[in-house]
Amino acid sequence: MSATSAPVIRVQSVSRWFGSVVAVSEVSFDIMPGITGLLGPNGAGKTTLLRMITGLAETSSGTVSVFGQPVRDNPPLYRRIGVMSEHETVYGFMKGREFVTMMGELRGVPNVEAAADRAIALVDMADTQHRAMDTYSRGMRQRMRLAATLVHDPEILILDEPLNGADPRQRVHFKRLLQQLAADGRTIVLSSHILEEVEELAETVLLIINGKLAASGGFRAIRAALNQRPYHVRVLCDAPRALAARVVGLPSVDAVHVDPDGALIILSRNVLDLQVELPRLARTASIRLLRVEPLDDSLESVFGYLVEQ
Amino acid sequence: MTGGTVFDIGYQRYTGVREGRGRARRAVFKDSVRTALGFGRGAKAKVLPWFFIGVLSAIGLVMAIVAGAANRLGGPGTAERAGLPSHVDFYGAASIIMFVFAAVVAPELLCRDRREGVINLYLVRPLTGTDYIAARWLAFFLVMLAAAWAPQFILFLGLSMGDAAPLVYLKNHWLDVPRFMLSGVAMAAFLTTLAMLTASFTTRRAYASVFLVGLVVISSPFTVGLAEEMEGMAAQWVSMFTITNIPMHVNDVIFGKFSEMTEEVPARLFANWIKVTWCIAWTAIPGALLWSRYRKLTP
Amino acid sequence: MMSVYRLTLRQLSGKWRLIIMAVLASLPVIITLLMLRDDDAPSVGDFETAILSAMLAGAIAPLVVLAIAGAAFGNEVEDRTLANLTLSPIPRWKIALPKLLATITVAAPFIALSALVTAHFAFLADSTATIAVTVSALVVVALYAAAFVWLGLVSTQAIGVGLLYIVLWEGFFSGFVSGVRLLSIRHYAIAIMHGIDPRRFAAGDHLPLSAAIALCLLVIGGFLFLSVRRLRRMDVP
Repeated sequence: MSATSAPVIRVQSVSRWFGSVVAVSEVSFDIMPGITGLLGPNGAGKTTLLRMITGLAETSSGTVSVFGQPVRDNPPLYRRIGVMSEHETVYGFMKGREFVTMMGELRGVPNVEAAADRAIALVDMADTQHRAMDTYSRGMRQRMRLAATLVHDPEILILDEPLNGADPRQRVHFKRLLQQLAADGRTIVLSSHILEEVEELAETVLLIINGKLAASGGFRAIRAALNQRPYHVRVLCDAPRALAARVVGLPSVDAVHVDPDGALIILSRNVLDLQVELPRLARTASIRLLRVEPLDDSLESVFGYLVEQ
Repeated sequence: MTGGTVFDIGYQRYTGVREGRGRARRAVFKDSVRTALGFGRGAKAKVLPWFFIGVLSAIGLVMAIVAGAANRLGGPGTAERAGLPSHVDFYGAASIIMFVFAAVVAPELLCRDRREGVINLYLVRPLTGTDYIAARWLAFFLVMLAAAWAPQFILFLGLSMGDAAPLVYLKNHWLDVPRFMLSGVAMAAFLTTLAMLTASFTTRRAYASVFLVGLVVISSPFTVGLAEEMEGMAAQWVSMFTITNIPMHVNDVIFGKFSEMTEEVPARLFANWIKVTWCIAWTAIPGALLWSRYRKLTP
Repeated sequence: MMSVYRLTLRQLSGKWRLIIMAVLASLPVIITLLMLRDDDAPSVGDFETAILSAMLAGAIAPLVVLAIAGAAFGNEVEDRTLANLTLSPIPRWKIALPKLLATITVAAPFIALSALVTAHFAFLADSTATIAVTVSALVVVALYAAAFVWLGLVSTQAIGVGLLYIVLWEGFFSGFVSGVRLLSIRHYAIAIMHGIDPRRFAAGDHLPLSAAIALCLLVIGGFLFLSVRRLRRMDVP
């Protein structure tokens, strides 16, 4: 892939508001072939953004183009795009195979039976393809929806929370599948609110917070940025100074200060260890913990940090 | 190999008041009233219910204006002598609107919860199926009652203020108020129960609404036409199956005279106790069916 | 297009729905037979007003079509399955048209058969009158289908609005205010019946046949156009 190749998906200054609520605000980025992860907390605007990228929703301002063409009101483009939305959008009365073949027919696949065979085999649902979809488990419905998304062999895959409801074995299978599809030259946009999922799969990450693009680029760089900034954890207890004196000695703690109202603010870059060590310490010292809360969501803090920079 | 650890991260139990079943019932009741009237759901949800209430009120207002004009032109009492529509006729005139209102709102209260599985969230609370359906029924009944009474009160106010001597009118006609209120109770109870029973049979709101209106609109010419073909007791009984008239017969009993809707139907010839029992049966039996569909529900 | 058509047929043809439609469609037949038993049978005008216009075209047909047509897109929007169709590389009219045709396919046989049998008995097997009534029934189904398919696409309150239209506009106003007949689906269909058999249905003040046909085409084409436009512009859930 050369540096001058055209982006597959170009989002330029896209915003979307619903009345007075701004869901997406002035977002611009390019997506190239490979796996791109769209990451952000629940309610960040990922789904709205994906719906605009797929042409399902209109932009309030800005443009979205796919293969250089506007995506909105451009049905022929859908021959090259496969979309799997967050919601379970299946017809319960249909058998799995019927659903996949119908999607294939709608997308103009020439040899639809062979294509359906291939897609269903890819998701490992050949044994259950002749059952009605309302008898499937959630994970099975998810897999059949993925087969329907793949049946027309699209160059672009847009997947919104695809691993919702998937068990560990399915997750492994799914990840391998996506990596194989990306290796074949496809462009995959994968949305998730789970860091680890995106970490394993995506070469490029787009981080959306409160409707704004907070970070983009290689995942490791973003992770490093996250690690440089300590978490703030607020602790209320019945003996704050005694607890502070002990907490400052914990290896997971960078700094401690005591608020005028008696709350402890602990700065830590290793909240997982702190979560174990703090209660243990409090019990040993017979100090009663009343409240433990993170003051800044790590992604929020990244956004704030990056904005400051 | 590795052991397991349970972390005590300072979880605290809720120590406030636990209000139990009564509170849960009141919550369902309140939610039902809000749903029926479109509160808390944006402007679009309010359009239909308030349009219905507006139309009903307009009917009452128009009746008052027409009667007032007649009295002004022809002297006091003209409207009554000319037999212009009044309180006894209102529910008959408004019945189809009230039916459509019930048909559209009742499925909103019942169908969605079953379709989306939300009913299970209710049933895991200290609420039984009976509590749930009773709260829904009561809330919708009160909304229907308000929709039935408001236009009648508007009509009463209009008629008394349009009279040359309002206080005399009030003194002579004050009995109309408890009459139309009681008649409204019969109408509201009947409509609420029938509409909710229909809604309890399907999870798609559309089918419930159309089925109920269809039942009413299509059966009416059928029973009316058939009753005209027949004679005697047979005609009277067929006429009793005209659904829109069932509460109207009770209305006639309460007012002691026939309304415009019922003054020519064969069923009017039945004794009062038959008419009242019929309406009660058409309310109680569907009510019992509705209850039986919900009381056995478990999450 | 066939995929959308077949899918919609399956979505709209539940067992209970078909049974209820059959029962409703049989009512005009039954009542006509009962009316004919009586020596004092009603006039053509009365029969037309009570059975054909009020019952069949004014109540049974619109309600049946509302339930089916409202569901054609309405169920897809409610279940969030519409994106399955709109994310296809086909022009939007190839989604809207099969939805409309499937609606008509499901509703028309019952209504048309009801009209055919009713007219056959009522007019003593007079084929012209029977054809006039049957064609008129098919037209009324197509008109209501086009309107309610569109309504189901644009509004989550489609049923309430549709019921109000049927009960207030078609049922109430158009019976009283003659100007409203220019905007009444029921009266277009009745006008076509008059136009096909003017000998039988001479009485009454109706639109000329050519005007009625033009208005019917306008209604069907217009609502289909509006449905396509809506599909192109809406945010698909």
